[in-house]
Amino acid sequence: MAGEYAICKLRELPDGHHRVVRVGGRELGVFNIRGSFHALPNLCPHQRGPLCEGGVSGTIDYGPHTDFKLAWIWEGEVVTCPWHSLEFHIPTGRCIAFDDIRLRTYEVRVVGDELRVVI
Amino acid sequence: MSTDMAPVGRTAKRRETLAELFVVDADVHVHEDPAELAEYADPPWDVALREIATVDERYLDLPGMSPRAEYRVPFPGGSNRRQIVTSAREMREGLDELHVDQAVLFPDHLLSLAMVRDPAFATSLARAYNRWLHERWCSEESSLKGALVVAPQNPVAGAHDIRAYAGDRRFACVYLPGSGLKTLYGNELYDPVYEAAAEAGLPVVIHSVETVYPAFPFQLEQFRTSLAVHALAHPLSMIANLVNMLETGVPVRHPELRIGFMEAGTAWIPFIANRLDKEYIERRREVPLLQERPSTTMRRFYYGTQPIEEPERRADLVSMFDLFDGENCAMFASDWPHHDFDHPQHFLGLPFSPEARRKIMGLNAAAFFGLDMPR
Repeated sequence: MAGEYAICKLRELPDGHHRVVRVGGRELGVFNIRGSFHALPNLCPHQRGPLCEGGVSGTIDYGPHTDFKLAWIWEGEVVTCPWHSLEFHIPTGRCIAFDDIRLRTYEVRVVGDELRVVI
Repeated sequence: MSTDMAPVGRTAKRRETLAELFVVDADVHVHEDPAELAEYADPPWDVALREIATVDERYLDLPGMSPRAEYRVPFPGGSNRRQIVTSAREMREGLDELHVDQAVLFPDHLLSLAMVRDPAFATSLARAYNRWLHERWCSEESSLKGALVVAPQNPVAGAHDIRAYAGDRRFACVYLPGSGLKTLYGNELYDPVYEAAAEAGLPVVIHSVETVYPAFPFQLEQFRTSLAVHALAHPLSMIANLVNMLETGVPVRHPELRIGFMEAGTAWIPFIANRLDKEYIERRREVPLLQERPSTTMRRFYYGTQPIEEPERRADLVSMFDLFDGENCAMFASDWPHHDFDHPQHFLGLPFSPEARRKIMGLNAAAFFGLDMPR
């Protein structure tokens, strides 16, 4: 059902934390990255693993855009599927290995002391 | 990874569900704790195993017992899932979630058994593991069947162990470590193992692992990444052992022996079958034992599916299975709970015929391992 759904209290999701919630008939992962909130489906498009139960970290990059220097990027912005380690960039929903795969991202609002997700 | 993944339930005719199918998992992994193995080990190796147990272990990497020589540089991140299973009950619960009816148990650390340098320790380790597996796992859950490990460092002792358990249905096969091997499995040194296995009615399964150094497959230390080493170590181990077994005529010299290959995917099978058939035309006189195309002999071997290839077009996988008659010799394997396990639901979604699906997901393995068929 479309609408705005309460997730939890603001203080229950501190910076650097994430949790999986069931709202509006969906399972979503909600992330607090340095005070900015994001939500993704808890479903990996690879083999349907519980993506957002995975850990959050940065990742490694290398190529012409890093001047061919190994770089640690996106600290705290990458969730890794616990099943087969496919990585996703949380703010954009972009699958890092397969650029053509994008997850739907959901808007998360702070209303008073509450977090809400818009579906 | 496939990019043409169709949602389940779109086809007009309803596909059998996992709950309805008879699913045999030809390869799952138990975690052998050295302190537990010590209880089953002959002296003085029990002392060594208790000492090994005082050292912290990492994934398939335990100094003294599992000589992985892991030199990769670690960065944070990666899967946070628990990738070990430590009891029969935990395994049964995990497999219930995967809808697996019966499974064959292979080890964790003893995947690297061929690289243990002291043959006496390797032999004792195999023996302790078999006792432990028999008592702590296979006797606890009748749907879990053991793979009886043979230390390739001592084939005569391995043959003795096979005979000691002959007729015990808790073991479904003999496991031969396929990587880090000094002498490939075509060598006549292993004839006692093959004779004992054939006598006991047990198939032998060669199972590979990601090895780096210092044994076969050679030169993998030149590669910098696991992407390279993992992609090569498994199929190279299989190809080398299979080719060596064919050139020395293992399947001809031991016609009753059933032979399986586990954990290298399946793409290597049509590749090497075609290469060998080509050579056979010109060089038959070098292998007069064979008396048929190598690919014909290879169709009597069995092959685990995991880690299953994921071509962009899923139908390509079905075509590839056709190239080696996979419908009749491939066995679904998940490799649970390891990092690259294949979920049965994923296999179920592949565009095989219903009959091929039933065979690959259960019936072929039941025939190969001699398991009880569903009622």
